[in-house]
Amino acid sequence: MKKFLALMLALCMVFALCACGGGGAAKTSGGPFAPDGPVTLIVAYKAGSGTDGPARILAQYAEKYIGQTVVVENVPGGSGSIGWSQLAASDPDGMTIGVMNLPNFNTTITEELGTYTTADFKAICNHVTETSIVIVRADDDRFPDLNTLVEYGKAHPGELRASTNGNHASNHLGAQLFAKSAGFSYIDIPQGGTADQLLSLRNKESDFTVVKLGDISGQESAYKVLGIFALERDERFPDVPTLAELGYYDKWVGASRAIVAPAGVSDEVISFYEDALKKTMEDPDYIAAAASFDTNFLDHEATAALIEEQQAAAEAQTDEFWSFD
Amino acid sequence: MLETLGLMGAGFINALTPINLLMMAAGVALGIIIGCMPGLSAAMGVALMLPLTFTMKAETGLIVLGAIYCGAIFGGSISAILIHTPGTPASAATAIEGYQMTLQGKAGKALFTACYSSFWGGLLSCISLYFFAPLLAQLTLKFRSAEYFWLSIFGLTIIAGVSGKSIVKGLISGALGLLISTIGLDPVTGAKRVMFGQAYFAEGINTTCALIGLFSMSQVFILAEKKIKERAQATKFSDKMSLTRDERKMIRPTILRSWVIGNIIGLLPGAGAAIACFLGYNTSKSFSKHKEQFGRGSIEGVAGSEAANNAVTGGSLIPTLTLGIPGESVTAVLMGGLVIQGLAPGPELFGKYAPMTYTFFAGFVLVQFFMLGIGLLGCRGFAQISRLSDAILIPCVTVLCCVGSYAIHKNILDIVVMMAFGVLGYFMRKLDLNTAAVVLALILGPIGEKGLRNALKSSGGDPMILFSSVVCWVLIALCIVGILSPMFMSKLEKKAEKEAISGTGEDIEQLTEEDSV
Repeated sequence: MKKFLALMLALCMVFALCACGGGGAAKTSGGPFAPDGPVTLIVAYKAGSGTDGPARILAQYAEKYIGQTVVVENVPGGSGSIGWSQLAASDPDGMTIGVMNLPNFNTTITEELGTYTTADFKAICNHVTETSIVIVRADDDRFPDLNTLVEYGKAHPGELRASTNGNHASNHLGAQLFAKSAGFSYIDIPQGGTADQLLSLRNKESDFTVVKLGDISGQESAYKVLGIFALERDERFPDVPTLAELGYYDKWVGASRAIVAPAGVSDEVISFYEDALKKTMEDPDYIAAAASFDTNFLDHEATAALIEEQQAAAEAQTDEFWSFD
Repeated sequence: MLETLGLMGAGFINALTPINLLMMAAGVALGIIIGCMPGLSAAMGVALMLPLTFTMKAETGLIVLGAIYCGAIFGGSISAILIHTPGTPASAATAIEGYQMTLQGKAGKALFTACYSSFWGGLLSCISLYFFAPLLAQLTLKFRSAEYFWLSIFGLTIIAGVSGKSIVKGLISGALGLLISTIGLDPVTGAKRVMFGQAYFAEGINTTCALIGLFSMSQVFILAEKKIKERAQATKFSDKMSLTRDERKMIRPTILRSWVIGNIIGLLPGAGAAIACFLGYNTSKSFSKHKEQFGRGSIEGVAGSEAANNAVTGGSLIPTLTLGIPGESVTAVLMGGLVIQGLAPGPELFGKYAPMTYTFFAGFVLVQFFMLGIGLLGCRGFAQISRLSDAILIPCVTVLCCVGSYAIHKNILDIVVMMAFGVLGYFMRKLDLNTAAVVLALILGPIGEKGLRNALKSSGGDPMILFSSVVCWVLIALCIVGILSPMFMSKLEKKAEKEAISGTGEDIEQLTEEDSV
């Protein structure tokens, strides 16, 4: 009996160790690059998160073009900075790449959570782009359109409340850019996550809020979209004006997820993945599987420019930008 | 309504996959093993097995944890009946009548009664789970920051409840937990608090690591300190494990009464299975037509205690799943499992994630049947396990603690944190402080802080917002009840214990205090 028990406990431990998983391979370089073992894709958020799902779909369909298994490794913690630190410190042998969330990545640098800079990464391509929108409750008759919301805010300074997904987080940034450009002030209610942020709007703790287009998919009837932070209207919401055409903030605002490698990788590695992922994102099977989010391929140069642009924007957001005094 | 019924049905179909059934059986067996080993409590068992569920699907993981929970609560009765040492505090009252029956050579009958009553207690508690959980979840849609603040305060009154013996020590433990919960980025301004320049701490202390350390690792230290001791010999028993039809009929009303008691106790924060078993036992005694049998091996007494403690399981899941306020320490650990699966307690569990939730509920119902089957078939084997040497137990649990905390984020720092909390837990137990209170405060602290600060922010600093809705006032009233309930509860428990003891002349008080986790 005792032996049997000891065996059972030992088995438990084996399972526990298996749960830790693992994997990785080394390689030497020379000539055009091709990975000779499983490729690791680092996601700086936990399994099942908003970043994780699309990354896994990309990884699954990319295997056909990369020619190797792509293992998604979730390294959550530190608002993403733990994962990005690990990616920056990985061997630049092309066997490890990762997902970089903009603008969260830039915020970890300005908030001094990460010890890395943008120079520690090399862009491969862009994967997903989500555009920000301004929404109110569908049954809120006070605000039929964006202009009435702005007028109300100007007439009642400090009265409008907007829930955000965290202090200085992406949706707080959107709300701030909107309010500053329209010349009204509001109170931000940081909720720490998009689900709680939307709940706060629905139970009338907030008057308006800024989220990404994809966040309200499936529950469109509960909200009214008043404006979109883009240069052109979105085909899914043809009646919704852009902030620019109403004379408010005139640049794109949203979140992007880029695929990057540690800075030391060779140009062959970059062009190999850029090519493979471009083909992946054009694959009809991938497109069918990725219907629920906004795939947006950009080449490595455009992606690198986007990262720098977002970094410059994040650094320009001084204390003055975040306050209304 | 029809839609809900459909979801319930689909839940059963989903729960009936081979992997789920296998996991139920394994979970129940493991739970019984943990439960019948004196020194290992249900909370510790669930904490230890939690990391094993990370790679499973959410519903499968939760079913395993639920199976361990139910199994452990029943398992405690095996050692209570056979060696007069309750495997978990939840079976303390079972030891009174159960051991008397063993002495009379009726151990089989006692074990059957325990298993049969646990089964019915658990099964009936599922009815309340199905009925009340979605109702309560709908209510949370009305919750704003102010309500969440009061909710967390209500939850914190649990601390007074779980501490039981000394409210001051409970409050010290709770304050320590609240202090630890402030580590990380400030939820409102983003300021870095007590992070020592480490990005690792940005999201705060990992609750799962903390509770593995506090519940499991600290127990290892305690066991190791006691050195490897010989456990009492389990009595061999030869009588048949069964009850006659008349006997089953006799304990039926007892089981029903214990179901109601266990359920209410489970719903109440702070009151857990340990209290429910005494209340169930006492109620069975006062309603019994055969009072003379009490203290001399009454099957009604065993049934009253065992049905009540298993009825707590379904009851305490209700506030855990809907409000995020665990009803007792085991469900606090279960909630950790929920959060790691990316699921937050609240209305979404009955909306977006309803298929998963109803699969878990169905699994929880099926687990009761596994408990009955495995309990009846395996009793003789499990009885031997309660003799397992600490020399085997200690290294095994240590390894599981380390692997478990590493598996969450694959970060070696998590093991360091787990060990630190293990040491903290050891000293807290030595000083008679309450480790469960620390865990509850760690969970509730951030909810309350965010709620209070956001409520005041949205009102422009006017504190009246905290009293601005009916829900607020209801929660304030519950807080007052929460603060007063432990005094009432401890009186009730003491009275129940006293009556129980006076009936048998046996000293069982020490057994109930052994492991308050």
